[in-house]
Amino acid sequence: MMADIINETAPSILSIRRLQKSFGSLSVLKDISLSVDRGNVVSIIGPSGSGKSTLLRCASFLEHADDGDILYDGQYALKGGVYASKAELNRFRTRFGLVFQNFQLFPHYSVLRNVSEAPILHGENREEVRERAMSLLRKMGLEGKETAYPYQLSGGQQQRVAIARALCMRPEILFFDEPTSALDPELTGEVLKVIRQLAEEKMTMVVVTHEMPFAKAVSNRVIFMADGVIVEQGDPREVFENPREERTRQFLRVFER
Amino acid sequence: MSLLTMIVKMSEGLGKTCAIFFLTLIFSLPLGMIVALLRMSKIKPVAFVTRFIITVLRGTPLMLQLLAVTYGPYYLFGATVARNKLIPVVIAFAINYAAYFAEIYRGGIESIPVGQYEAAEVLGYTRVQTFMRIILPQVIKRIMPSVTNEVVTLVKDTSMAFTVSYQEMFTIGKQIANSQTSFTPFLVAGVFYYIFNVIVDYVMGRVEKRLDYYK
Repeated sequence: MMADIINETAPSILSIRRLQKSFGSLSVLKDISLSVDRGNVVSIIGPSGSGKSTLLRCASFLEHADDGDILYDGQYALKGGVYASKAELNRFRTRFGLVFQNFQLFPHYSVLRNVSEAPILHGENREEVRERAMSLLRKMGLEGKETAYPYQLSGGQQQRVAIARALCMRPEILFFDEPTSALDPELTGEVLKVIRQLAEEKMTMVVVTHEMPFAKAVSNRVIFMADGVIVEQGDPREVFENPREERTRQFLRVFER
Repeated sequence: MSLLTMIVKMSEGLGKTCAIFFLTLIFSLPLGMIVALLRMSKIKPVAFVTRFIITVLRGTPLMLQLLAVTYGPYYLFGATVARNKLIPVVIAFAINYAAYFAEIYRGGIESIPVGQYEAAEVLGYTRVQTFMRIILPQVIKRIMPSVTNEVVTLVKDTSMAFTVSYQEMFTIGKQIANSQTSFTPFLVAGVFYYIFNVIVDYVMGRVEKRLDYYK
C-alpha cells in the first residue's frame, strides 16, 4: 500500500498520509492514507458517519486535521499536523474545487455571477472569465439560464451551476461531497451525467457518493470507508463484485435489490 | 389659540424632530454593526462586555438614558449642560438604537448558513470579501422587516426629547397644551407622527421590494 502512496517520479495531485481528525473524544478519521493521480476518478463509499465527508473537508481545509500530511502535487499543505502559512494555503486552494451536497450557491447572485465572480476577484480578466463561465454553463446544459437566480432553478440545475462555479476556478482536482444526496431521485441523473462527462474528459475527481452503480461505472478506484478507516480500496469491479472484507460485503448487501 | 396657529407653531419643531430621526439613523445603523461584530467576537471578554452594555441599553428606559447623557456630565464633573441639546439627544438615541440594531444584525448574521462561508472560502474569497459580498447583502434582506419596526418606533420615540426640553415638535406641543389647557396639541402631534410613519412605511416598503429579486 505504501508504494501506492509515495510515487517518486510523478507526484500525485493529492496525497494524504496518516490523516487523523477527532471531534472532541470522537475519532472521525483514524490514520487515513490515499492518493489521487492525474486524470483519475476516485469514489469514496461507506455508511454515514464513516468519515467520508470529513475526509473531503480536511482535504479542502474546511476542517482542521489533527495529524498527518496533505500534499498537493508533492507540496506540503499539512505536514505532521502542521499547516502551511495562510498565504500558502490560499495558493493550494486554487488547486481544488469543492461541490457541496446542498449546492451552496449565493442566492443573491445571478447564475453567471455565481460562476464568474471568484476568478474575477482573483484578478482575472472579466471578459475572459465571463466567456469561460458561459461556455461552462453551456456544457452543463444551462444555456439561457445565466441571468436566472438560484431559487428559479431546480435542484439538479442548481447543482450543475455549482459544478460550473467550481470548474470556472480551473482546479486541478474537483471534490464532490455527496453531490446528489439533496436531490429528488428524478434529478440525480442529470448531475451524474455531467460528472461522468467530466470523467471522460479526464478531470481528476474525488466523489463521496451513495450512488453505487455510478461509482462502479465511472471511477478508476473505489475506497470503502467505515468508522474512520479505509477498510478496502481497489478496482471498482473488484470492490463491488468481489469484496475482500466482510465489512464491505455487509455494507454492499444493503444496496442489492 | 386657533388650531391653525397650533399647527404652525408645532410645525416649526418638525425640523428638529427630523434632525433627531435622521441623525440617529445615520449614526446608529453603522454603530449597530460594529456592536454586533464585537458582540460576536471570539475574544470572550470583548463579547461579554459588549453583551453587558447591550443589556443595560435595552433594559433601562430611553428616557433615563436621555437624562443621563444630557445632565450626567453636569452632576458627575460639573460640566456645563450643552447649549445645543441636539448633541446629547442624538448621542443618547444613537447609542440606544445601536444596541437594538446590533441584536437585529446579530440575529441576521447568525441565520446565514455556515455553508455560505465555506463555499466562499473554498472559492478563495477573503474574509472581508465574504462578509461584504456574500453575507451582508443576505443579512440586509432578512432583517429589513425588523429594521422597519425599529424605524417606526424611532419616529415616535423622538417625542421623548421633551424630557430634556429640546424644542422639537412634541415639546412645543406639550408647552402649548400646558399654557392653553388644551388637549388639541396632542391630537395634532398624533397626526404628525402618523403621517411621518406612513411615509416611513412607504419608503421601507420600496426598499424591501427592491430586495425582492431573489429568495
